[in-house]
Amino acid sequence: MQELLLEASWLIPLYGLVGAVLTLPWSTGYIRRTGPRPAAYFNLLMTIAALVHGAIAFRASLSLAPDPIVIHWFKAADLDLSFALDISPVSLGAAELVTGLSILAQFFSLGYMEKDWALARFFALMGFFEGAMTGLALSDSLFLSYALLEMLTLSTYLLVGFWYAQPLVVTAARDAFLTKRVGDVLLLMGVVALATLSGTLNFQELYDWAETATLTPTVSTLLGLALISGPIGKCAQFPLHMWLDEAMEGPNPASILRNSVVVACGAYILIKLQPILILSPTASIALVVLGTMTAIGASLVAIAQIDIKRALSHSTSAYLGIVFIAVGMQWTNVALMVLFAHAIAKALLFMSTGSIIVTTSTQDITEMGGLWSRMPATTTAFVTGASGLIGLLPLGGFWSMREGINAFWYDDVWLVGVLLIVNALTAFNLTRVFRLVFLGSPKVKTRRAPEVPWTMAVPMVSLTIITLLVPAILNRLYLLPDWAYMNQSAVVLLMLSGLIGFLAGALARFSGVWTRSVQMPFKFLQDMLAYDFYVDQLYRVTVIWLVNLVSQFSAWFDRYIVDGVVNLVGLASIFSGESLKYSVSGQSQLYLLTILLGVSFLGVWLTYPMWNALLNY
Amino acid sequence: MSTQFPWLTTVTLLPLVASLLIPVLPDKQGKTVRWYALTVGLPNFALMIYVFWQNYDFSSPDFQMNESFSWIPQLGLNWSLAVDGLSMPLVVLSGLVTTLSILASWKVTKKPRLFYFLILVLYSAQIGVFCAQDLLLFFFMWELELVPVYVLISVWGGPKRLYAATKFILYTAIGSIFILVAALAMAFYGDNVTFDMRELALKDYSLTFELLMYAALLIAYGVKLPIFPLHTWLPDAHGEASAPVSMILAGVLLKMGGYALIRMNVEMLPDANFYFAPMLAVLGVVNIVYGALVSFAQRNLKRRLAYSSISHMGFVLLGVASYTEVGFSGAVLQMVSHGLIAAALFFLAGVTYDRTHTLAMDKMGGLAKSMPVVFALFTAGSMASLALPGMSGFASEIMVFLGMTSSDSYTSTFKVVTVLLSAIGVILTPIYLLSMLREVFYGKQNPALAEELAEEYGQTGDFWDAKPREVFITACLLIPVIGVGLYPKLLTQTYDVKTVQVATRARTVVSTIAQQPLQSLPQVSVAPQLPRASASELLGIVK
Repeated sequence: MQELLLEASWLIPLYGLVGAVLTLPWSTGYIRRTGPRPAAYFNLLMTIAALVHGAIAFRASLSLAPDPIVIHWFKAADLDLSFALDISPVSLGAAELVTGLSILAQFFSLGYMEKDWALARFFALMGFFEGAMTGLALSDSLFLSYALLEMLTLSTYLLVGFWYAQPLVVTAARDAFLTKRVGDVLLLMGVVALATLSGTLNFQELYDWAETATLTPTVSTLLGLALISGPIGKCAQFPLHMWLDEAMEGPNPASILRNSVVVACGAYILIKLQPILILSPTASIALVVLGTMTAIGASLVAIAQIDIKRALSHSTSAYLGIVFIAVGMQWTNVALMVLFAHAIAKALLFMSTGSIIVTTSTQDITEMGGLWSRMPATTTAFVTGASGLIGLLPLGGFWSMREGINAFWYDDVWLVGVLLIVNALTAFNLTRVFRLVFLGSPKVKTRRAPEVPWTMAVPMVSLTIITLLVPAILNRLYLLPDWAYMNQSAVVLLMLSGLIGFLAGALARFSGVWTRSVQMPFKFLQDMLAYDFYVDQLYRVTVIWLVNLVSQFSAWFDRYIVDGVVNLVGLASIFSGESLKYSVSGQSQLYLLTILLGVSFLGVWLTYPMWNALLNY
Repeated sequence: MSTQFPWLTTVTLLPLVASLLIPVLPDKQGKTVRWYALTVGLPNFALMIYVFWQNYDFSSPDFQMNESFSWIPQLGLNWSLAVDGLSMPLVVLSGLVTTLSILASWKVTKKPRLFYFLILVLYSAQIGVFCAQDLLLFFFMWELELVPVYVLISVWGGPKRLYAATKFILYTAIGSIFILVAALAMAFYGDNVTFDMRELALKDYSLTFELLMYAALLIAYGVKLPIFPLHTWLPDAHGEASAPVSMILAGVLLKMGGYALIRMNVEMLPDANFYFAPMLAVLGVVNIVYGALVSFAQRNLKRRLAYSSISHMGFVLLGVASYTEVGFSGAVLQMVSHGLIAAALFFLAGVTYDRTHTLAMDKMGGLAKSMPVVFALFTAGSMASLALPGMSGFASEIMVFLGMTSSDSYTSTFKVVTVLLSAIGVILTPIYLLSMLREVFYGKQNPALAEELAEEYGQTGDFWDAKPREVFITACLLIPVIGVGLYPKLLTQTYDVKTVQVATRARTVVSTIAQQPLQSLPQVSVAPQLPRASASELLGIVK
């Protein structure tokens, strides 16, 4: 039985897709009598099936080693594109994480989206999302992974554009698609190049190839940069980071998944690509540099946000930046641990945020306050999520951060500094949000704020418990180090950085900050961070302006030059025809003259050589 | 010639013969004739499928189902038809798209008899072009297809229909003069006077002659495909034609150019093809990028889609130029896939136009609220067009990319530049398609449009959503797109032996040329190794 389910692991991604298909009668409005609820139940059921199947397969995979599953997709001459699935504890574990969080997010959205008329469509998209992500976790072929990354791009586009009549959603969905697409197409170029260079796209064979491959520096640099650009777009790293912030216009349950596991999918691909990236030192350096820029920049930007979802989403970029640094430094185990701890803690933070939004109907933290006594479960969830994210001793964030510091300690000490700065800034930001939302006196929108209904509270509390259990899970997986071998100073530094951030957040005076500051330097700084270092505007006046200009120019060129020549020819023939018609007068002597002139001209032309001879005679 | 029943002739001529009955059909309300057209189109399509299923051998690269009758012996004109891997998918495509366009023109009330008569004539002409094995017959069918399109645009088109129709006919007629001249020149070359394409392909032309013929045919097919700078008829014709006609125009007629380019330029003039191939690649890249850029600047829905067609047809050129099996296969797949996708998108644009009575995107907006199904279908169509994995556009474009990068006929710099530039085109595609979706469907509805409609057409209330007929047509086009996208072998294995043969022959010729290098050898070309695919491998592709 176990073995059978393990062999059938390729089914796991299909559960989500089947769930999505099952919702069709409701999402297309074919069945109206029952309301959209049954669609949601079907989807939940399928996800639970995926979770159970995955759990059994995971247990079995620890002891058994199944054959890889290979599906031949396309074959021409000497090129073989096949879909291979990797059935290993790591990939099944990743799939379990995805399905687990997906169940909680779907359960949560039963409450969150209760009054939405398109609930069935939402669940269809969530099922699709989940299917693509589990597929990505199991995929062992770069080609399949690429295709699934594009599926994620599509579902992000559809989920962000879910409320398509809202003004901000209009551009947010498109931007999300375009930014990710830029990364994806560059990745595709890398995939195409790899296929040509190595003749295969299965990770195992690619690793073998990479060990012996000899490439010229230009080729390997181009290849490496193309390969990392897909994850850059997917993980919202500089310079393709703008979409995640805008994507917060979508429904919150989708944001739970997007900020935890979807961005992690991009990083997961990056980790899988890491043995190939070794070929290009430039790509590794680029990973570290971009990761550092994003980690620190996004942490700073998060501090100035007043939208609760955006404040948290920028910190997602920051943590993924740390993952990028880790991969760039070839510490993939650090990257995996950060991803795991971050995914769970961030999902919990977003669930708590969803509860706040649904109760208060606002996302502006300046309009909130005093929620702690009114919404105890939500408050607990927020505190737990925040502690799980920053390096607080027994929880997941601490262990992953410690692993990172340990890894960088001897290689590059300045990277330890980056980690500590990100940790301090995140602690500061979370404390700031906590104070503004939960402490203080209630404001208009938070005065009547009951705790959320059970459909939302149950997944939230469950995830709170799971977050608290992360160290135990890590321990089960033998990922926790022995106390005796711990770098004591690293632990102290990490705790200290968190404490500094916490104290700064707890003691700073915010009331003056939100009213527009009169001191110019401070106002400038605040605006710069709030508007994301004006990168948005920078893009608008550079890339977007350029594309618009070139496109307008080509349209002008097409209309007035290419087509202009055509129309000119048409005009010239009409004009000459019109003018020639005046020669048709009806006078026979004129016709005779024309004929005579023509014939004599022809005669002269034909006898021209003779004339020449005559003249030279 | 063959003893079996002339199936291809039947399939080709059935719509033409049936169309002759339309004038005498009793039809008071103008509603019988559309049913008549459908009962001709649909069985003909079914017959086509059945005949290919029964008689076509998918594992043979040769011409099959040969049918040859002497027609005008004084001219040497034979009625000779046959299909092979190159033409068979396109015949089926034209059957599908034309039948669906009959269904799409259900609401035509202006002169329905003439309309359906022309569509049926067009049906025959398209199949004739793809099946003809006699160069004169090919030319005849090519011309036969122009006239109905001209009338269809000039009577049922938009406000600028006469300009568009005239431009279309002048462009294509001038182009087809080149076909006639080339056909005559090739037929009378050497001792053996023949119009039979197979025999023409075997003739040994001198290089100068081949180059001249190639250039002439390239102009003719470049108008049809279209290739920059011969494309300006297309946005006018597609933009002004009514939706069913645009479906056929974009779905089938453009593919004639690509088909003829492979059939004649590559297969009959392989030596010249070697010299022109780099130019084809460059033109392909120009098409891809230029089409995408101009498309982004269009404010008219159908003109935007028309320029997107130009952009996508660039991939056909790139695939043909790649000199590899994958590239040729991708080019054919791109033709079929674009035929389906473009037909779906133009049809949906027509569906939208039925509601809004305008194609100006500035006037639209927020339509998703009142027509969610149209919105969903339009999104699916756009995703297919922008080459999302799982849709056929992706399969064909990645095959072209793989063909180009794995080609050993070009220097690596040339390959890298070509592929990177076309990648920019692929990035531009979602920019214009998603902006289109955003402007038409997202956001708030434009109140000015509703007022205008109430004033001019007396149309009040919300826009109605897609009717079952409209959903059915789009589904018929998009389901194959997804099917092929998920598993391209479904389609590629029906013609792969043929494209492998084309590529192999092209490469064999090149390797003999390259052994005696000329001064005029294009600098970007390098001598490829001998063909890698051996006979056993060829057959291995199809089980």
